[in-house]
Amino acid sequence: MSKIIGAVEIGTSKAKALIGEVAENGSLNVVGMASRPNEGMRKGEIVDFRKAAAAVHSALEDAEKMSGTTVDEVYLAQTGSHLKGHMLRGSASVASSDNRVDVADLQRAAEEAKRRKPDDGRTYVHHVRTPILLDGRIVQDPVGMFGSKVDLGYWSIDGDDQAIKQALHVISNYSLEVKDLILSSIASSTMMAGPDLRRAGTLVIDMGAGVTDFALYRQGFVACTGVIPVGGDHVTGDLSMGLRVLEPYAEKLKIEHGKAISDPMDEGEDVWIIGNKTIGDRSIPRKAITDVIHVRIAELFEILSKELEGLLDPDELKGGILLTGGASLLPGVEQIASKILGFTARRASFPTGIDSELAQPENATVLGLLHYGLEDHGLPGRKKEEVEAGFLGKFRKMVGLGAQS
Amino acid sequence: MSQDNLFPQETNFSPENEIPGIRAKIIGIGGAGLSLVDGLRFDNFQSVEHLAVDVDSRALSDSIAGEKLAFGRRHTRGMGTGGEHTLARKAMEEEKDVIRKKLEGVDLVFLLAGLGGGTGGGAAPVIARLAREAGALVFAFTPLPFSWEKSRHSMAEECLADLRKFANAVVPLPNDSLLQMGGADATALECFAEAGRNVSKGISAICSLVFRRGMIDVDFVHLRKAFNRRAGRTLFGYGEGDGEDAIRQAVRELLLCPMLHLPDVSKAADALLILITGGTGMGMAALQQVSSEIREEFKAGEHIVFGAHVDENMGNRVQITVLGATDLEAGIPTADVAPTAKEVIAVLPKSKVAHTSKLAKEKKGSKLKTVPAAPRNKKKDDLDQNTFEFMEAENQRGIFGDLPSRNIYAGEDLDVPAYLRRGVKISI
Repeated sequence: MSKIIGAVEIGTSKAKALIGEVAENGSLNVVGMASRPNEGMRKGEIVDFRKAAAAVHSALEDAEKMSGTTVDEVYLAQTGSHLKGHMLRGSASVASSDNRVDVADLQRAAEEAKRRKPDDGRTYVHHVRTPILLDGRIVQDPVGMFGSKVDLGYWSIDGDDQAIKQALHVISNYSLEVKDLILSSIASSTMMAGPDLRRAGTLVIDMGAGVTDFALYRQGFVACTGVIPVGGDHVTGDLSMGLRVLEPYAEKLKIEHGKAISDPMDEGEDVWIIGNKTIGDRSIPRKAITDVIHVRIAELFEILSKELEGLLDPDELKGGILLTGGASLLPGVEQIASKILGFTARRASFPTGIDSELAQPENATVLGLLHYGLEDHGLPGRKKEEVEAGFLGKFRKMVGLGAQS
Repeated sequence: MSQDNLFPQETNFSPENEIPGIRAKIIGIGGAGLSLVDGLRFDNFQSVEHLAVDVDSRALSDSIAGEKLAFGRRHTRGMGTGGEHTLARKAMEEEKDVIRKKLEGVDLVFLLAGLGGGTGGGAAPVIARLAREAGALVFAFTPLPFSWEKSRHSMAEECLADLRKFANAVVPLPNDSLLQMGGADATALECFAEAGRNVSKGISAICSLVFRRGMIDVDFVHLRKAFNRRAGRTLFGYGEGDGEDAIRQAVRELLLCPMLHLPDVSKAADALLILITGGTGMGMAALQQVSSEIREEFKAGEHIVFGAHVDENMGNRVQITVLGATDLEAGIPTADVAPTAKEVIAVLPKSKVAHTSKLAKEKKGSKLKTVPAAPRNKKKDDLDQNTFEFMEAENQRGIFGDLPSRNIYAGEDLDVPAYLRRGVKISI
């Protein structure tokens, strides 16, 4: 029997809902997809609950209609500058007398790692496991191997209680359950960077409307993630102020004529703001548009480079830098990223087999949610279901959603 | 031939018909303030006095202001404060009585002070307070340091918040944005000079409103009623046009004025002062249309002061100055101020149905939809609510201005356009 799963991303410019059908052989088929402009959100955080909820609900409704089915639980993407990542580590000595590693040893190490409670008013959003070390060596699955000590780490992201609760309530208001919270950057990297790239080491930068999410992978595991509260909306805002045009015109100029690096061909060329040359329409040099965008985008990558200081090692980043998200469509961003971060950056492409209508950079996160949800992220030797129930049960208790479970 | 024609000046009102009884004082404080005062050129207002205040006696002796006051000699021995605004504040508090004396009988005070330095930042709030206590209406024009001058900048913001507690309207002039003034090849100095000229024209326009008789006349009482309360955010802009279509050109230039497009500047005004000065050929119909367009642009509330002056020396030129304020301090019942608006509207019959261009309508519609002026609407719904706290903490940061928290990274507010913070000049 096939299984229906859903994914929701409450994005700053659009709320997106996706419904997928998992066939018995494990292959995923997207059967419903809808997106709605979201006016209830700024810079990745909900500022108007009702508007955000309305956008999400109508996106879900449309996606359900399109698929002809209903979903009971969804994966929900989380972003926002309130999220902070930490590396948590735990270790355990191998208990059995024959020095064979047992699942219980791994569990003890995991418990120790997760023992640290987040600060008051904060909740863990996502624990991403990093490599398991058996006596200092990286191993994929130590169960059954000989050794004396296992170490494992979690890149753990915690966030503001209120912000997370709000996002969860948007979904629970639609009588849906959140199966799991997934960090937006991890969701989009799952989609855009295949296992080979993740093993080679790669940095995925998802440039959204409100925020820019990034995730750095080393040896196939997450080494660092982060959120920078600057996105495409900032470019629009800068244009609106710098060119002294209203925001909708600034948005239009950005989409139609926006470039992040100057083009000698544009020298001396002007574009019209409204385009119909009515009274009040005025022409603007292309160079002015490019200048405004360039400064903002360059600054964004400078901040990224500061955030990742010391983490970008040529030997560990053979996969280069991948750019995705709606704002990555601006021509020239990859050149600026390469120049400032010092590694080749390119626009990420979707793996083959994704419908061309869906394969847009702005859909990377929501598509990634489904794919991440399908993958097994538990500890080796444990069944997937068990792990998830455990994590979510604990999470529900933390955020006060215990009633349903 | 009159003397005025021999020496054309920015404002060429003849001194004879000046309205007596009201006194205005322009006070420059500290280095930046002094140079702004010295840059002002309107000696033909008899009732406007210039006062230069500084701790640095050498800088003071170079100033050409009519009155000078050195303070803080005990603390600095006649030298600068070296950026210590607490020192300047302390020294100024000690000279309270001297300042009070200087402010006696003054109805209108213009404070010009750079807030990045010690003297301006420390002394300006004190003088503003004393002036308010003395019953004067206080307008402040304050240059702010570049945002990359991090410590100076944060100090200036503190002083700005302080000054806003006392002044009726504070017009911040951030160096970041002043770089956007002038033509494409303008040097930094030329940009600052241009900004200084605009401030000077603005002050002179307000003075002419108060001291001269005009075609559509409003006087000091109107001004006082409109700006009686302490304001949070302000807007200030200036535009000039020449030739056949001068008035339209002036509106266009006004709406493009870089000083109206700063992150700190309010996009709507609860109190709005519109001043139009033009030659004898200025038509009434055009005036009405322009005023209603400007009022729509700034979504002006009920406190509007609209003045039009005819100056035969202007020829075909038209100058428009706007000064607006939002988040007015609550506390004074609206009824007290209402007559002003009524009177003004009475002067402009049918202004509500006056023809507006298609663009203006489009602009208004789309603007209302996409730029939520949330704090302002809230204010209107709930007029009695004391808005004091948020007017201190919150700044208009372009399209992110309605968000409660700032987006600080390494001391910089990322919601403020990057090109402003990085000093990149955008020529349009």
